Amino acid sequence: MILAAAMNPEALSGAEDIIAMMRRGDPDALTAVISRYQHRLYRYLLRLVREPATADDLFQQTWLRVMEKIGRYDARRSFEAWLFSVAHNLAVDLWRAKHGESLDSGEDSGEPAGERLACGDPDALEQLLDFERGAMLAACMQGLPTIHREVLTLRFEEGMKLEEIADVTGIPLSTVKSRLRRALEGLRTALEARFPRRRGA
Amino acid sequence: MSEHESMLKMLALAAAGALDEQEQRRLDQHAAECPLCRRELEIWGAYSEGLGQLPQPAIPSHLMERTRARILQERAAAADRRWNDLMVAALALFAWTVGLSFWFLLRVFSGGALIVMGTNLIQLGTWSAISTVLVWLTAAAAALALGKRRRELRRAL
Repeated sequence: MILAAAMNPEALSGAEDIIAMMRRGDPDALTAVISRYQHRLYRYLLRLVREPATADDLFQQTWLRVMEKIGRYDARRSFEAWLFSVAHNLAVDLWRAKHGESLDSGEDSGEPAGERLACGDPDALEQLLDFERGAMLAACMQGLPTIHREVLTLRFEEGMKLEEIADVTGIPLSTVKSRLRRALEGLRTALEARFPRRRGA
Repeated sequence: MSEHESMLKMLALAAAGALDEQEQRRLDQHAAECPLCRRELEIWGAYSEGLGQLPQPAIPSHLMERTRARILQERAAAADRRWNDLMVAALALFAWTVGLSFWFLLRVFSGGALIVMGTNLIQLGTWSAISTVLVWLTAAAAALALGKRRRELRRAL
């Protein structure tokens, strides 16, 4: 039954049942949960680390850690937020090991990008709509600091509430907001630098 | 900072749906009278919409199967380690029991004295010392053998 549900994760009876089965070490429950979250978790990790091989390894490590800690998981907390926070912590550890610094230290502390933005530029919108918008945005997003890519993907791709983002990243709500604003402004600055406005058009 | 400037700073968050009720109301009131902010809001809205429609990465082949296999292997290795620890403890207990039983039998059949090189082995203190040394030597040999097996297992994983 669970294997059938794994093919259609939405048909699972409930998160609590699945968590209980995972705690008992049921491999079918594990398959069902991985199947349910694999696309979103891999996408999140890839946006964070940008390298498919690293994202692949972090994906596997995340599930290993989930299985190790599932006994200590507090069912009152959103499983999704908990899963992404496990992935976040592993990515942070990897970042520290590679760069010897915290992920947060990459934040641009200078003038907010919004200060540098030109207001009311209709060309940016037109270009945004004219060209392959998604691909352009994805390319510009690649150049943003990791912490900005993270809040953007959690908010817009994962559709998480600000409180959930705070839970995943372990930062205060006010920081989530300011980080989100900086990320959006940084993205717009990058897009406008990459595709400058057409004068006289 | 003028009202217009402070509103401009809130536009990106508004498009992200990240303003609280009060901020949103303030912005709506301002935007109703400010064409520039309405236009900006439209631009931010396009960014917001675009971010929700980014090209989706393809999942690497067999990622789920590889992950599941790795977890099951890790779990099997952990169970193996627990079993090994249990076995070492059981062997140590068994060795102590055999030693003590053997001491008791020797004591009964030898009449309480078994002199070797001027030492009475049947004395509880002497017997305990010898047993302890033998048990520890056995445990060390077993630990070395298990450690070697674990290293081989880890390499295989």
